[in-house]
Amino acid sequence: MPRYAMVIDLQRCTGCSACSISCRNENNVPDGIYWANKITETSGVFPNVRYHYIPTLCNHCENAPCVRGCPTRAMHKLENGITMHNPKKCIGCKYCEFNCPYGVIYFNWTQPHKPWKNNNKVLDGTTSPKEEVKKVGGKTIPYYNPEREDTLPGIRQKGVVEKCTFCDHRVRRGKLPRCVDACPADARIFGDMNDPDSKVRQLLGKFRPFRLREQIGTEPHVFYIKNFNPANYQPSKGGI
Amino acid sequence: MSESKTSNGLFFTWLGLLGVAILIGLFAAFKLLTEGHHLFNANDVLIWSLPLGVYIYLALISSGLTLLASIPLVFGQKKYEPYAKRLIFLAIAALLSGFISIGLELGNIFHMVYIIISPNLSSPIWWMGAIYSLELIVLVLKFQRIHAGDLNSSTSKVLGKIGFLCALIAPLMIGSVFGLTESRVTYFGPVMSIYCLFMAILSGSALCLFYNLIHAQVTGNGISKDKESLFKELTRIFTGSLGAVILLTLIKFFIEGSTVIPEFLNYHKYAQAFGSIAGINIEVIFGLFLPFILISIPGLRYNQSTRVLTSALVLIGTFAMHMEILLAGQSRPVGPKAEQFPDVISYFPSIWEWIVFMLSIAVMLLLFTLGERFLKLGSDPA
Repeated sequence: MPRYAMVIDLQRCTGCSACSISCRNENNVPDGIYWANKITETSGVFPNVRYHYIPTLCNHCENAPCVRGCPTRAMHKLENGITMHNPKKCIGCKYCEFNCPYGVIYFNWTQPHKPWKNNNKVLDGTTSPKEEVKKVGGKTIPYYNPEREDTLPGIRQKGVVEKCTFCDHRVRRGKLPRCVDACPADARIFGDMNDPDSKVRQLLGKFRPFRLREQIGTEPHVFYIKNFNPANYQPSKGGI
Repeated sequence: MSESKTSNGLFFTWLGLLGVAILIGLFAAFKLLTEGHHLFNANDVLIWSLPLGVYIYLALISSGLTLLASIPLVFGQKKYEPYAKRLIFLAIAALLSGFISIGLELGNIFHMVYIIISPNLSSPIWWMGAIYSLELIVLVLKFQRIHAGDLNSSTSKVLGKIGFLCALIAPLMIGSVFGLTESRVTYFGPVMSIYCLFMAILSGSALCLFYNLIHAQVTGNGISKDKESLFKELTRIFTGSLGAVILLTLIKFFIEGSTVIPEFLNYHKYAQAFGSIAGINIEVIFGLFLPFILISIPGLRYNQSTRVLTSALVLIGTFAMHMEILLAGQSRPVGPKAEQFPDVISYFPSIWEWIVFMLSIAVMLLLFTLGERFLKLGSDPA
């Protein structure tokens, strides 16, 4: 049985957010919810400043606190290591969200994609969002992806949580997760940790990876390698 | 109240007021079910808000009352028996009201069946729910036995023992819901469970004192001499648990004040939502220190007004402390959520959260009222 993992090459990542946008399209993600997100940070004081950008998603932890804490097993592990959520079992207690050390689980506080249900025309002579959805034959949203229904409700209901699933519906068809596919810089590498010949295993052997909040023992399966830094400096021993 | 001195007019006005509050609460419940929890001032950073604080508060009070009721029902202290029936009934009412509050906090209450058919035994929330549900069932059965005049049959005794064990373990489970959260260092550890257990005993004994003294005042029955010795013992339990909670609070306060772990520094910075005097939280000063000082003064200790005042201060103070702990640990976004939310989340409950609070309290007061009127809670069951 494979054990899926993702390596993110921070030197290749340009911070274009294609991963985030493609994820929204693939998984019909509502506004305010981010399955693929980022941590940005500015360090130093002008003129010696630096901007850091780390793409984030569910870490599909080996020891997932969200899975351990879920009272109904709605949050569960698949055999291939993917941390999966079943909204039909979710009671909306939000303990997984409270318990997640990485801030990657979100709650549907209201009916998802509400603005697209609006039947008011923006201006006279134009169409309403609802009419637009109807015109393109969409389900709730004009860019609705029915393939998401393979393993999850296409659009999750209000009152339940949702998060990244490593695009399990694509993986089971032999496709890469959408964010990996969409990355123009090939900064995301996906594969089987149990396969010694996989690209993921090769990269983890070649570079010294780090994971987010490793010290708490959750064993994340999203690894980061390298770092982009164009800065240079004249050799120096400093001074007193 | 059941006593003849309480006029029917006042009684029905009181019932009418509670009825109105419950109707408004039911409307809020309908709105939450149909529109979702965006009606709360919670978000993906500050995930749990006032309704959860109300649940923790009422559930712990219920456990505290059950533990007090166990003194006669499990440990055979006969002189406490006249109060056992009332204590059990108050515990049932508090727990039911707490369940209403947490029920309205849940996003999808209709999926609750999966708690039973798909249980997760590694989840502290599951254990908390299971033990409190068992406690409620056992308390209702025990009350039914006491109401029938049966305190000493083997069934009645077994029910008392199970109820005692549930009331002992359930607060530990509430603590572990927070204490097992690796992602939030300020909650993490076994201290939360111990803290919750002592808070249960403290708030339970505070409600017991407050309720019985007010009840005696309202019904005009007063406190007889033999009951006074019992109240002295209850006051000692109240003072002891107050001292224990103060000790735990001081330990927590010193740890937060001396550590340099960033999460604790941030926590300490935002853990004074209700204000502070000389760096100490207002609710700790007026909800713990002041009552402890008042109740420790020999001349005031057994004065009825002091007891009413101190127990009322503790009941308000412990609620504020639960809210403080709940909110301060969630005030800053975790990981990438800092991209969408401010560095620190400010919070004030929405009108809908206040209505859920009002609904829970109104249901509890209604049950208290009806219990006193129709179930002879003050009668000696022995």
